[in-house]
Amino acid sequence: MGPVELLHMSVFSQSFSPCGRFLAAGNNYGEIALFSLSAALSPDATAQSQKPVLTFTAHEGPVFSLLSTDCHLLSAGNGEISAWSWTELIKKNVKPLWTKRPNYKSSLEIPEINSMVMNPRDNSLIVGGGDNNVHVLDLERGVFKLVLQGHSDYVHCVSVREREAEILSGGEDGAVRIWDSRTGQSVHCIEVYKYESCARPQYGKWISCLTTDSDWMLCGGGPSMSLWHLRSLSPTSVFPLTGCQRQAAFHQDMILAVGEGPFLSHCLLGGEVKAQIPCTPQSLNTLQLNTNSTEHRVLTAGGSSDHIDVFTNLSYRAFSLRF
Amino acid sequence: MGAVTDDEVIRKRLLIDGDGAGDDRRINVLLKSFTKWCNSPGTPEEGFTQYQRMMGTLAQCEFSMGKTLMVYDMNLREMENYEKIYSNIEQNITSAHEKIAECKKEIQRAKRIRKNRQEYDALAKVIQQHPDRHETLKQLEALDKELQQLSHIKENVDAKLELRKKQFHVLLSTIQELQQTLENDEKSDNDDNNQESPAENGE
Repeated sequence: MGPVELLHMSVFSQSFSPCGRFLAAGNNYGEIALFSLSAALSPDATAQSQKPVLTFTAHEGPVFSLLSTDCHLLSAGNGEISAWSWTELIKKNVKPLWTKRPNYKSSLEIPEINSMVMNPRDNSLIVGGGDNNVHVLDLERGVFKLVLQGHSDYVHCVSVREREAEILSGGEDGAVRIWDSRTGQSVHCIEVYKYESCARPQYGKWISCLTTDSDWMLCGGGPSMSLWHLRSLSPTSVFPLTGCQRQAAFHQDMILAVGEGPFLSHCLLGGEVKAQIPCTPQSLNTLQLNTNSTEHRVLTAGGSSDHIDVFTNLSYRAFSLRF
Repeated sequence: MGAVTDDEVIRKRLLIDGDGAGDDRRINVLLKSFTKWCNSPGTPEEGFTQYQRMMGTLAQCEFSMGKTLMVYDMNLREMENYEKIYSNIEQNITSAHEKIAECKKEIQRAKRIRKNRQEYDALAKVIQQHPDRHETLKQLEALDKELQQLSHIKENVDAKLELRKKQFHVLLSTIQELQQTLENDEKSDNDDNNQESPAENGE
């Protein structure tokens, strides 16, 4: 990987292994790199332990989304979903278990897959992509069982509301749609850009980040990032963050958000921005918290750089992993 | 371990006074002078002085032994003291660990409470924007009353209208009947007249 390629690299997705000791990161060249957290976090770590233990080309196009289940790593790139076994990857065996493609209507253009999320209730994978639809894949039987149609432009992000068995999807058309996961009907459609408090017409109406906490939902993108109460479908707080947010997460009593701008924002639920922690990449695309392991509880953030910042304490950047 | 320390002790002692310098030498000298004194044929004064000298050396040896015993006691007590301090510190460490764990749990709880409070505040903000329920209920009641009054009035007007319609209907139908009767009468008069004249002409 020459220096020019490293300069132009963007990290689009990350996922922690089920044991919590490894981090998989996907970049815009279609590669997935595996980093060993136990080596990088150990007291005698060297510069070599911040390099990947394994790098392989997974797809022809950029890997926009990575997801870990109990024993598999699912990666989405170039319109297809591949599954890899974590145990095999740790042993450096890079053969995918299976590769599937949702039923796209047009066969000329292959739409990209932007986001995947697991629905643990019925063991299904929810996939949102460039063909304006949300596909639901049943992981037990391996067939696509539902197609949720309703968006008029491509789907950026999907999320699952576990308690009510609903799927949320946000897209380029500025609408956040709530679907019932059993029937596949659209239950609600929230057009965020129509609400004056959130709308930012100078950025557009697209929704690029969506996350939910069963009662509350965070969505942002073109409009300012806002916290919504789902039962009443009303925006409760709007966060005054400049730039468009690309990923957000609920963490204990705070909200962590990354997007345009070289920092990770900590916000309170009331709408104030508590802190903005500087990071290496100029703009961040992905944020992951390692909840699978108690010893390696880190937060990692990656973006338009070949560095992935690792935070052991949420207040400052500890070190960076490099591709 | 006992054997090792014994070896160490012996090695150290040999190194320090192998040839008998210090206490060992004093004891050997005492023994030698005692045997010499027992076997000496000298005068009683010499014997007495030698005896005094030997008592002195003996006292010195006893003194030195007493000192060593006290030092030994002191060491034992120091050891006990240190053991006590050691166990005390260990207990403190474990209790500090437990307190840390407790505090961590507390902080988790406090964070959850804070999150709940913030969610509550956010919802309250939204709810405050909506008007008060009592006011809305009062407005609804007032509107209801108005509605009732208006429908009452409407009923009255309707009833009046019906009555007027019926009366007019009766009036009009009586007029028509009268008209009909008058026409019929006229017609029958004309017919009578016509019948008479042809009858007159016919004759």
